[in-house]
Amino acid sequence: MVRALLITLSLAFLSALLFAPLAVVFATAFSEGVQAWFASFADSDTGAAIRLTLLTAAIVVPLNTVFGICAAWCIAKFEFPGKSLLITLIDLPLAVSPVVSGLVYVLLFGLQGWFGAWLMEHDISIIFALPGIVLATMFVTFPYVARELIPLMQQQGDDEEEAAITLGAGGWFTFFHVTLPRIRWGLLYGVILCNARAMGEFGAVSVVSGHIRGLTNTMPLHIEILYQEYNFVGAFAVASLLSLLAVVTLLIKSLVEWRTGYRRR
Amino acid sequence: MTPRRSHSVLPGFGITFGFTAFFLCAIVLLPLTALVMRGASMDLARFVEVVTDPRALASYRLSFGTSMLAAAINLVFGFVIAWTLVRYRFPGRRIVDAIIDMPFALPTAVSGIALTAVFSANGWIGEHLEKLGIKVAYTPLGITLALTLIGLPFVVRTVQPALQELSKDVEEAAETLGAGPFHAFRRVILPAVLPALLTGFALAFARGVGEYGSVIFIAGNMPGLTEITPLLIVIRLEEYDYAAAAALGCVMLAISFLMLLSINLLQAWGRRRLVAARR
Amino acid sequence: MSISLDQVTKRYQDHPVVNDVSLEVSEGEFFVLLGPSGSGKSTLLRAIAGLAPIDHGQIALHGNDVTHTGARDRGVGLVFQNYALFRHMSVAENIEFALRVRRMKAAERRARRKELLRLVALEGMDERLPAQLSGGQQQRVAVARALAHKPQVLLLDEPFGALDAKIREELRRTIRTVQRELGITTVLVTHDQEEAFALADRIGVMNLGRLLEVGRPRDLYARPATRFVATFLGAANLMLARQGPDAIRFGDSAIATDIHHRLPQGREHEVVVVMRPEELEIARDRRLLTSGYIARAVVEEVLFTGTLERLRLTLPEEVEASRLVGVGTSVGASGSGEARLEVVRTQPERRTLPLQAGDAVVIGARHLHVLPTPLSSFVVCVEDSAREQELLSHPLLEQLVASMKTRVLVQQMASDHRAPEAGVAVIAGGAGAARRAAHMLATGANEVLVLPPSDAVPAQVGICWHGDGVRGATLAVGASLLRQLSAEAICLAAAPEGRRDSARGATLRRLLDARSEARATHGLEMRTELVAGEGIAPIADYIAALPAPMLVLGVTRATDVAGELAAFIESERPSPVLLVYRSATP
Repeated sequence: MVRALLITLSLAFLSALLFAPLAVVFATAFSEGVQAWFASFADSDTGAAIRLTLLTAAIVVPLNTVFGICAAWCIAKFEFPGKSLLITLIDLPLAVSPVVSGLVYVLLFGLQGWFGAWLMEHDISIIFALPGIVLATMFVTFPYVARELIPLMQQQGDDEEEAAITLGAGGWFTFFHVTLPRIRWGLLYGVILCNARAMGEFGAVSVVSGHIRGLTNTMPLHIEILYQEYNFVGAFAVASLLSLLAVVTLLIKSLVEWRTGYRRR
Repeated sequence: MTPRRSHSVLPGFGITFGFTAFFLCAIVLLPLTALVMRGASMDLARFVEVVTDPRALASYRLSFGTSMLAAAINLVFGFVIAWTLVRYRFPGRRIVDAIIDMPFALPTAVSGIALTAVFSANGWIGEHLEKLGIKVAYTPLGITLALTLIGLPFVVRTVQPALQELSKDVEEAAETLGAGPFHAFRRVILPAVLPALLTGFALAFARGVGEYGSVIFIAGNMPGLTEITPLLIVIRLEEYDYAAAAALGCVMLAISFLMLLSINLLQAWGRRRLVAARR
Repeated sequence: MSISLDQVTKRYQDHPVVNDVSLEVSEGEFFVLLGPSGSGKSTLLRAIAGLAPIDHGQIALHGNDVTHTGARDRGVGLVFQNYALFRHMSVAENIEFALRVRRMKAAERRARRKELLRLVALEGMDERLPAQLSGGQQQRVAVARALAHKPQVLLLDEPFGALDAKIREELRRTIRTVQRELGITTVLVTHDQEEAFALADRIGVMNLGRLLEVGRPRDLYARPATRFVATFLGAANLMLARQGPDAIRFGDSAIATDIHHRLPQGREHEVVVVMRPEELEIARDRRLLTSGYIARAVVEEVLFTGTLERLRLTLPEEVEASRLVGVGTSVGASGSGEARLEVVRTQPERRTLPLQAGDAVVIGARHLHVLPTPLSSFVVCVEDSAREQELLSHPLLEQLVASMKTRVLVQQMASDHRAPEAGVAVIAGGAGAARRAAHMLATGANEVLVLPPSDAVPAQVGICWHGDGVRGATLAVGASLLRQLSAEAICLAAAPEGRRDSARGATLRRLLDARSEARATHGLEMRTELVAGEGIAPIADYIAALPAPMLVLGVTRATDVAGELAAFIESERPSPVLLVYRSATP
């Protein structure tokens, strides 16, 4: 009785909040047929937005992955003073508003920013250009890989690494042949999640991009523009692509949990 | 057996720590310092004027109020959903469990326009609510809704492990000792998951205060009415009033730090309770 | 020597986990490190493997100092407690790991792998993943993997911990066979004495970070030197007795013994006697005993355990002089509490004399072993009962009594402070303590423990003596004391700075002599420290500067205590002092 009530309540809540919006994305995107859906990608600005998003992710995700692995290695394998402070600082971007994340770069590299004049002199543009978008995205997606790996590596312990070392393996050999295979599923999920956030970041990128159509518009920004132009099919078509990415991300997450029997957090 | 290992036999501390610290400083700390310095370099009177401007005050009220409300809704529903997922087996449970994380993975802009589409006057749910006289889109209610969506996984994912930890035995033990289900819930379950619940609440609230993408589509963005603080910062930036933007940014950052601090304290409390309980 | 450890110390948060361990393991030897959990044996093994850097001392493998060599280059094979197999690699890949690191050709790797799998009886399992193997099989793979690169030393850390009894025995046999076949020097860590007996050429017993005794299993079992080894290696009944010139006395009964320890000052003194449960004989009547009579007893409990029968006997209160302190005995702080003995009998023995609870019997001992420890029991000497509680609950005394499982008697003192008949006299510190202690020594006490109020157990124990006649006794008492504490030992002497270099040299030599004597005779490792100055004062200053000190001090004149030492014993920040007294002129 209570059971049925609670399950119904949960499902109703989730349907209204999660399923309905997800369904509406695809429903609207295909409301005028598959043809129209495809047609919306023929637009050159849309194409540019997709390319920019892919490029940003291609720069940000590898960098944050390397960072995440480094951070996880030094935090999970070593004891040092200030470790908990380091963990807190790594998590910091999660607590900061995306708008503030963008703002800080504007204050650093914008016209009135710390390096603004110098950048102007040397004719380097960061804000309202690709570097700014990359930096803001990097800030926002900074913790994802590290957060995924730290608990995983702490839980696994160092026995296998120690075994490898006593068997004569060096640091890199141990990392690539012992550690990496052990954390690959967690790493995969961290990378995928980082990628999803990187491609979907809106607030921070919106502040630094300058919204120049065809040049500095990422997919989420492009969605906003299309939406404001009442091009709902176009907006939702692009949104459906990002939703698909989210669904794939969740699928991989479930796969990872199934493979490792390990639940995050 | 071994008291506690010194980890120094594994190589790579220097390089990994160095890179971590450098990257952290370059990407996170330096820019945040720039913000704080910019705020600090402002004339105090001007700073106060900017951050206590009526429009700013209204935006705080809105941001805080809606975030608090959304986090409270999540506290209740998040607990119910976590409970359902942990205790009950029903068809589709795994899918539901997986989809809880959707707000983590779905771009905020997408959830923003999708929610607006669902809850606007001619949306799937909005049109029914409209008949009841409830307007969701372009009102504070809409903002609350968006923030609820964003905050939900935080509560569910922090409460879920705590509930799993709390084995059914404890509850059954309480019942064999004569506690009714309500009593068992209030005296046994609730105290045990309280730290997790509050942590989830704080996480959801912290996220909600700063949220931008999913809110601006459904908010309507009327100054003084449905204008959230992050939006106000963006508007100031668009006016090229960097100083005002920086001042508001400092306020937001201070709130972030406060939230981070309280979340850490809550988690430490939860851990201590767990350790104490295991002894 | 294949493995040689010299004064290896490993501290964790200033607390020694491995405390001054020196050990030599010879080529091809199977050495077992045995100890309870937390005794530091695993840490020592990890130190040999190079996984735990040490704070002090030297480690050499085959004559090469490897103290500062990384684990990677020590070339040892280590088998982990929980196997630590590479879970994502097949058995073959696991075993070939060390060979792949060494860039060996695939064909050679394959040949070596086949050979190893045959050795551990796992032929044909090459392509399995660790998860598809049973615990015992996984451990076999771990052994094969550790042997792949032909290490000269094989280290095993509780390798059978997680396995059930039957598989454990089978695996034990495999490891012994492999070890014999390869002739590889092996060190195995375990907390299971049966396992140690079954495998070891020699056993080293560790407790509280110290290596207490090293010896062949048979010798350690029959003639342990310390209480801990006596009780940890199998069951043992420990009993207090008095040793005379040619007999051991339990109350009114004396057993002639061929073990002659030199009696201090020729007088009868208290000793700790070890009797194994299987060495005790039970009879209805004293005349029916074939061995030396010890005491009358009442059967309290009879336990059938299959091959053997286990009996628990209670000794009647009237056997006051012989107080039992061994297995399962709870001796109350005041010395009351029933003494119990454990006896095991074979089935034929049981059939000739069936017993049940409540039966009155007599017990005799077929074999006795006297522990060479000078610390047997404690007598708390107090003037009023307020002081009694304070002394009895002193953390140092509590720790010693718990660890030694011995008796504490309380003796009310009148104004004349005559020493108790046997055992260490314990008196309170503070004003007048030096005078009281001196009086006790003068009236026949050999050891006096002065306890000022404190809430900590000492972490550093300084050992020094005044007059060479008491050196041996001081070292013996110091060693006996340190076995019960997790503290560092420092051997101290004072010599004036500068001017007389020859005197300094001589003092230093005396210190080093004492160190080797302590190591050779008592198995105690200690640091040496030469302080500048003359007499006891500089030593006292040195001691007082340590965080949690204690002093073991040998004296040959009781008057010294009241005079020169009084300042130290009654100082502002007093620490416990254990006085050891042997008269210079016997």
